[in-house]
Amino acid sequence: MTLSALPAPPSQSPGRSTQSRFISRGRLAARSLYWLGWLTFSRRSVVTAGVEREVYALGIGALRLVTSASLLVGLIAIFQVATQLAPYGAEPVSPRVVTWFAARELGPVVVAMLIVARSSAAIAGELASMNATGEIDALRAMGLDPVKYLVSPKLLAVIIVLPALTLIADALILGGVWIGSTVFLGYSTDRFASQIREAFLTRDLGVGIGKSIIFALIIAVIASDEGLSAERRASAIGEAATRAVVLSLIVVLGADTFVNAIFYFIPGLI
Amino acid sequence: MRFSTSYPASSDGLGVLRVEHLTGPLHSPVIHDVSVAVPSGATHLVIGPIHAGKSMLMRHIVGLEQPLSGRIYLEGARIDDAIDSHTQLRRLRARLGVVFEGSALISRISAVENVELPLLEHSDSSPAEARDAARELLAEVGMADAAEVSADDLPRSGSRRVAIARALALRPAVLLLDEPTQGLDAHSAHEIDDLLSELQQRYGFGILIFSHEVRHAFGMATEIYVMADGVIIARGTRAELEASDNEIVRQLLHRRGTPA
Repeated sequence: MTLSALPAPPSQSPGRSTQSRFISRGRLAARSLYWLGWLTFSRRSVVTAGVEREVYALGIGALRLVTSASLLVGLIAIFQVATQLAPYGAEPVSPRVVTWFAARELGPVVVAMLIVARSSAAIAGELASMNATGEIDALRAMGLDPVKYLVSPKLLAVIIVLPALTLIADALILGGVWIGSTVFLGYSTDRFASQIREAFLTRDLGVGIGKSIIFALIIAVIASDEGLSAERRASAIGEAATRAVVLSLIVVLGADTFVNAIFYFIPGLI
Repeated sequence: MRFSTSYPASSDGLGVLRVEHLTGPLHSPVIHDVSVAVPSGATHLVIGPIHAGKSMLMRHIVGLEQPLSGRIYLEGARIDDAIDSHTQLRRLRARLGVVFEGSALISRISAVENVELPLLEHSDSSPAEARDAARELLAEVGMADAAEVSADDLPRSGSRRVAIARALALRPAVLLLDEPTQGLDAHSAHEIDDLLSELQQRYGFGILIFSHEVRHAFGMATEIYVMADGVIIARGTRAELEASDNEIVRQLLHRRGTPA
């Protein structure tokens, strides 16, 4: 019996309306968070081992990409900002501007973009592939909830990994800024350090980490939903991965815009 | 928890698993008026060409599809009625062992973790007890040495054995197998048949095999249903079917690969 012999269940129709997709993702998010709570207190070895595996795959596996990209982003940012501020005689405050922007914006957004590109497709593709090969049905047939066993470990892993990578990215963006400031712009390390001390506030770091947790939820839920709702055919795996990346990018940037608008329109909030 | 070896007898003498006049799924029926019964300890076979509706019938029995009409009984309880009741469906599914086409093991975990999944979910056993029981089951299917091997790295016949161990983890009343020997060489396929016969003799569960390959499973089955275009077109013993005048039945039974 071939996979194509099986018609897609009603919930897996490619023509799902925007409303039904929104509801489906809302339900998936709620169920994932419910099982996340269960997972936190669970001693069940298979699931906790699943979280470890996901943390390794999504986090440790992305370290090289995140570190190299963050360092380069720091360098690019200091060159750009210094160039823009030079005509106004404000070039010396470039490290301070970039540092502030890195903690609140660059770190969380750059890491989210990298994880979307690297892991969103992987999560959606893996779940779509499991759907195509009958693994999801096998779980359901055994009375096991795929959200509990497959989605929750991924969600928890992304929630652990994204803030951790954001902290690493913040540090490496500063590293890039330091290299750019001292090697190419001719500032002393002491001057760079004093600007960092003035600019780098814990609350900015907190905003960045808060954003990264929101981005983690968005990435995990969208990628998982696209994977679980893929049709049972081989080409649907690639389609699900592509949709997950495109939609995650848009929603992450939309959420970032929303958060920034709140801070802008409610002065003194943070 | 020790792996218990007791299996229930048929609840009503008509079949521990009974499908009566099933038409489904609900919105776009693919199978029509299908009736099948599997007594405890018996092996029945549903054969038919690709796209005949065999997998869809199995999905209905497992409760993955909602029927339009008809009834499915497992040990006297209605599966089709339980689809909207998560708790009842979960309880009934625990009484069915299912080996999907291609094994459908969870690919990123080991063989022993695959087998312990249903034990962790449906029993009160601790992780250590579930792991011990899973190892016992793997030993029963001849896969003790592969316990820690990732499901991705198992050979095809090995993954089929692990899938059988996983399906037997909760002491099911009926074992459902979708294309159990597909993709296996003749030797491996016969080994799977022998393993199933041995386990069935030891534990007495019913077996329902869905296959388009009649070569191997044919010999095990006491009752054979022939399915085409979503309906059962013939049923009987091997001898009865071999004497059938039905063209589709004759084509299925006498095509290349059918045992002489």
